[in-house]
Amino acid sequence: MTSSKKVEKPQGAFIKKGRLYVKAVFTGFRRGKRNQHENTALLKLDGVNNRRETNFYLGKRCAYVYKAKNKTLVPGQKRLNRVRIMWGKVTRAHGKSGGVRAKFNRNLPPKALGRRIRVMLYPSRI
Amino acid sequence: MSTPSAKTATSGGKATTKTTTTTVVKTTTTTQQTLAGTRGAGSKVQKPRTTAAGKKVINSHANRELNNNGLMRFSRGRMFHRRALYRINKWKGDQAKLQGDKTKKTAGSIKKRRSPALKKKPVGGDRNGKERFVRSKRLPRYYPTEERPKKFSVKRKKFSSHPRRFRSTLTPGSVVILVAGKHAGKRAVVVKHLSSGLLLVTGPHKLNGVPLRRVNQIYVIGTSTKIDLSAAKLDNLDDKFFKRVRPAKKNAEKDIFDSKKEKSQLSDERRQAQRTTDAVVLNAIKANADSRLLRKYLKSRFQLWNGVLPHKLRF
Repeated sequence: MTSSKKVEKPQGAFIKKGRLYVKAVFTGFRRGKRNQHENTALLKLDGVNNRRETNFYLGKRCAYVYKAKNKTLVPGQKRLNRVRIMWGKVTRAHGKSGGVRAKFNRNLPPKALGRRIRVMLYPSRI
Repeated sequence: MSTPSAKTATSGGKATTKTTTTTVVKTTTTTQQTLAGTRGAGSKVQKPRTTAAGKKVINSHANRELNNNGLMRFSRGRMFHRRALYRINKWKGDQAKLQGDKTKKTAGSIKKRRSPALKKKPVGGDRNGKERFVRSKRLPRYYPTEERPKKFSVKRKKFSSHPRRFRSTLTPGSVVILVAGKHAGKRAVVVKHLSSGLLLVTGPHKLNGVPLRRVNQIYVIGTSTKIDLSAAKLDNLDDKFFKRVRPAKKNAEKDIFDSKKEKSQLSDERRQAQRTTDAVVLNAIKANADSRLLRKYLKSRFQLWNGVLPHKLRF
């Protein structure tokens, strides 16, 4: 009961969808000092600062959203879109400070380093 | 219960001074005492289903299944001893013999007549001996290399009959946040738990456009807000009701060039179900103390914004 947007709109009016994902940043691949394993990505979630807090996000689906030159069909949309998504999921915590490991269906491209990743709220366990 | 005639015929121990009418005393103890010598061949003992106190009688000598996985607690050999079949089978045989009842199959005591294994057959040719002994039943010409592989016990449950579990926060009547799909961000009311493990959810449609819809539990966040739907009776709404109806296949000739997709029409049944369910839910909301607040709550959308962290939120 927190939203201040409680203006009574006429029925059928389009209420804009808000953000339903948690912001995260792709900080790098799982690695030792000299070896890197690209199959596992490391994510830093917004506002998650210790290992205990990462519990909520385990198992949640994550999406790397990017744009490409050619337009393609996106499921659920009728028009061709430049937006593309790489899907993955949060697998476990990484370290003590709220970092998290994620595995994507295909490894993330290195140009995604430092870029936004969306961690969705599903599959929900609460 | 054993027939009165059988009782009087063989109860030598009891004094049968009353010959004309025999009153059958139907106490449980006496019937069991007289059973040892009084049963006619083929009559079954009716053990009492309930004790005098009214409790169900469980035969402690019976076998039972372990955890529904097809394994039994006692093996065949053990059961033989537990049920004292070594005694019973012999007794049955003796009984059958007493009665001279050869048509009754008893456990192993009456042997069947076997046809002789070998029989004589005439053989032609003058130097072959006139006859041969030949097996009356031929041996099989095929021996499989392994025994027939054991099939899984039929008692194994199919997936469709496995128990489905529901999160404790998703009871019927709870308000829930839809987190994915077309109606993501909307708040809806759980109407029912379906047998397939899905939740049946409704807006109500008037408030936020969420129809009567099935939703998987993992795409839903349960909140602590509850509406009292205990009065509702919604038996006809089940998975079958909501199952997608695929259009029947047309002739192959027509289909290739007909690229029109038929729009699925909302059936009247569904509209009716929506109306009736929503009426119940809306009444329940009205009856609630915070009805105005609840209605606004259901109309509003869930969002995250700066500083709002779902792992810190209390839903």
